[in-house]
Amino acid sequence: MKKNNTKWVILFLAPGVLLFSFVMLSSLLVLIGTSFTDWFIGSKITFVGLKNYIYLFTEDKAFLQSIKNTFVWILLQSTIHVTIGVTVALLLSKKKWYSSPVRTIFFIPNIISSAALGMLFLCVMNPQFGLINGLVSRITGEKFIQNWYNDPKTAFLSVTLTWLPYAGLVTILVMAEMSSISEDLFEAARIDGATSFQIDMHIVLPLMKNIIGTCVILAATSMLQKLDVIMMTTSGGPGARTMNMPMYIYKTVFSNNNYSLANTQGVILIILGVVVLKVIRTLFRMDKEEE
Amino acid sequence: MKIIKKTLTFLYLSIICVISLVPFIWVLFSSFKTNSEILSGTVGLPTGLHIANYVTAFKLAPIVTFYGNSIIVGIFATLLNLIICSMAAYVVVRCQFKIKGLITLMFSLGLIIPGAALIQPLYTTFSGVHLYNTLTGLVLVYTALGMPTTFYVMVSYIKTIPYSLEEAAYIDGSGFFRTFMQVVLPITRPAFATAGVIQFLLAWNEFQFALTLTGDTKKRTLPIALYYFKSAFASDYGAMFAATVVVAIPSIITFIILQKQVVAGLAAGSVKG
Repeated sequence: MKKNNTKWVILFLAPGVLLFSFVMLSSLLVLIGTSFTDWFIGSKITFVGLKNYIYLFTEDKAFLQSIKNTFVWILLQSTIHVTIGVTVALLLSKKKWYSSPVRTIFFIPNIISSAALGMLFLCVMNPQFGLINGLVSRITGEKFIQNWYNDPKTAFLSVTLTWLPYAGLVTILVMAEMSSISEDLFEAARIDGATSFQIDMHIVLPLMKNIIGTCVILAATSMLQKLDVIMMTTSGGPGARTMNMPMYIYKTVFSNNNYSLANTQGVILIILGVVVLKVIRTLFRMDKEEE
Repeated sequence: MKIIKKTLTFLYLSIICVISLVPFIWVLFSSFKTNSEILSGTVGLPTGLHIANYVTAFKLAPIVTFYGNSIIVGIFATLLNLIICSMAAYVVVRCQFKIKGLITLMFSLGLIIPGAALIQPLYTTFSGVHLYNTLTGLVLVYTALGMPTTFYVMVSYIKTIPYSLEEAAYIDGSGFFRTFMQVVLPITRPAFATAGVIQFLLAWNEFQFALTLTGDTKKRTLPIALYYFKSAFASDYGAMFAATVVVAIPSIITFIILQKQVVAGLAAGSVKG
């Protein structure tokens, strides 16, 4: 290690520290500070203590709905979504001719901009000319009209379907980890007479515990950031049926111009993220192994 | 037994491929249909290659401007991010100083802060310093958003470089900066490729801050073009399809060409999560 180069250390760290302070740190300070105030667009900032927090949790129905939705989505995403991704990874890891193309195809919905994915679904689910209604009409022979994103009965499910099955990222991450398992291990298991299913269950999956935990974290926390797809499809409606926290923050800032309330929601969103992270790490016992 | 298993595998993977590809292919086909073909709700192939929708799409929304902005923002956000993170990662790996733990924490903090929480504070700060509605503003935000992943990729890679190379350079009289530029950076090239691709895709696909930190169409990036269509030209379906294709294609092509880097970058970047 080279010593006595304090000058260079400072110079090399300065750009990162400055940018972090400007974009993240200052925002966090504004966020937390103003969450205890009243602040509308153009108004003066006045201190009000916990008023915003109390209001959100006791009176704001749409906010409570957005928390509930976010929770349901976190739960679905960290279970079904991850399971889909892991099973595909297990099937593709058998190194068949189709492994690589299927992996690529499965990742396409993850690699395009979420705004484009939202738009794709908006078109596919369109009541008049959408693919889904078109197919149902074709099969039943009758004109089928279902307004997937505006009908309170189907809106939640329709939004969920834009991300729940698309676990290409999980597949890619699990497959990358699998490739590091030593061939000898499989060889030994096969000699002992293990079927490929037994190998998957008793050798591969236990070794994948950490990466699956990571995938659960990624899947769960991604539900705290879904603004684009919601915005492209339902904007949180009908009512607050598909409202999530980012969408509600956006609305509070730009439709209601209530800055302090939006920032209170932001603080709650960050706390929620930390709690979710902590819970998953505990469930997967990930804390011990990391340095 | 074996047959059943094979059939089930085949079925499962087919469903996966169908749900991943069909929506996109359907939109691609529909983008070449006339408006009346689309409205009749037919599922089949277009009758011919009607590029009229693309012409309309480019006429309705300034897609070319959006494209240009996306490219500029993507390139500069990637360059700036790589420069800042490689420098920081290098001193964190190679030098001893007191606040190392704090610096590492700072670079990973971005991972646990959902971007939506920062919408209002960033909007206010950026309006205050005249970065609202500028490409520079977007470049700075994306550079910051990508710091955790790039920093981690760089740190892991630099750790694998034997220190003897730098030592030799120092003995030959090379200074700190020159050693970094001429010895370390050339070896770190694979890490630059990996982190760079991920960072570029982040900037290219980002929606939330592109929407909230820009105000007029001259400064907006490609993902916003779609929002623009949804809110302003929702009746011109053909153009909407065409715009979706135009926005989605570059990401798909980038992924197919640079698959190795994308996969490596995602794998490395996820570990810290």
